[in-house]
Amino acid sequence: MTESATAIFWYGCNMTRHGEVIRATTRFLEAVGVAAEPSGGPAHCCGSPKDASARINEGMARRTITGFNARLAGAADPDPQAAPSDRRTGAGGQVITWCPSCHMNMQDSMAPVTPTNFETVHITEVLHARQERLRPLLARPVKRRVLLHQHLGFNGRVPVNSMVAELLRLVPGLTLAEHPYRAPGHMCSSLAGVPGALADAQRATLAAMAETGADTLCTIFHSCHRDAVALERHGIQVANWIHLLAESAGWPAEDEYKAWRNAADAGAAIGAERMGAAGAVAVEKLVLPELAKPPVV
Amino acid sequence: MSASLAERIRTESARLAALCVACGECVRACPMTPYAPGAEAAAPNAVAAGMRDVLQDGEGTPEARAWIAACTRSGVCSPACPEGLDAAFMLRLAQWRAKGALGNAPLIPVKEDTQYSPKVKAFARLTLTEEEQAKWL
Repeated sequence: MTESATAIFWYGCNMTRHGEVIRATTRFLEAVGVAAEPSGGPAHCCGSPKDASARINEGMARRTITGFNARLAGAADPDPQAAPSDRRTGAGGQVITWCPSCHMNMQDSMAPVTPTNFETVHITEVLHARQERLRPLLARPVKRRVLLHQHLGFNGRVPVNSMVAELLRLVPGLTLAEHPYRAPGHMCSSLAGVPGALADAQRATLAAMAETGADTLCTIFHSCHRDAVALERHGIQVANWIHLLAESAGWPAEDEYKAWRNAADAGAAIGAERMGAAGAVAVEKLVLPELAKPPVV
Repeated sequence: MSASLAERIRTESARLAALCVACGECVRACPMTPYAPGAEAAAPNAVAAGMRDVLQDGEGTPEARAWIAACTRSGVCSPACPEGLDAAFMLRLAQWRAKGALGNAPLIPVKEDTQYSPKVKAFARLTLTEEEQAKWL
């Protein structure tokens, strides 16, 4: 961590399942001229896991904002070479979000309670605004027919559905299929808490894949990806939009979570040495049950 | 700027509840209504009135509580509101209240994963290098 960061890539909590996405996203940001320090995990929580207590929720959120404020104090424009239309306004740095929950919570409950000295923008806005810098990086053809997994929620606040689609259209060889289905909620983790809702959404998604003849389902958010990777058992491929951009850039971004989730023996797929290094007891207790749970559909 | 999250929840709940006419358009537009037991069969304005009651320190109706619990932040309620209210935020406020965020007894089931943070950290130890963990967590 530098002492004078100009931007923080606030990737959230559950993105730690997808280290390669954090890594590749940070590399894309740097490549388009935005040096952003990745930050996430429980120490940078938005507070939403403690929605049942406003006091605890606020305390977690305040700690996160206080840390960001300190790191971004006196920050200059994170991208001084950006075209005027791409440049943010005002002083201070940027917090670049990935998670739609974190983004909405920052706007709805965090910043209105704890003062911030930064602007909050979503990763799709940052990369979409700099797509002309992104385009030359995306040189390798990705010959896939892709259906974008889209939700109704969050899109009204940040038009992620159209921006990710436009970023995917930069990829040579990639064909984007069109379908009107939009899943309820803002991402699949919200549906998982309502009996029947995630299964219905996944069945509708598989039907849309079949109707469009798409071979790859492209997720936008991590929680959708976490649940959707098990759909590969239905004969489709699942990739996040960052995986597809990285594939076109020729950058390594192996989806290990997907491999583990779909392995007959997740522990064997991870490997004893790696499990030992991460803490075998913790992995067995906290990681393997999630990887081994039955698919929703 | 609010002094606390609790104050923000109280202030915004009172403000929006005073403006809401409980017409039920938000309930009609919501894609989650079919997943809320009893809500689809109930009159939409009655469900909306129950939600408004929760914003005003009430307990709402069983159908309204089920609808609040089923909110997944689809956000289609806001453009559906003929009064131009941020109905999605109203539901967020109602969900906080119904979960007992202000210290009251919960009105809806609260599902908290007590292993949430340890799980996030365990995955981090698998997918991030030690240097990345030191810098990024």
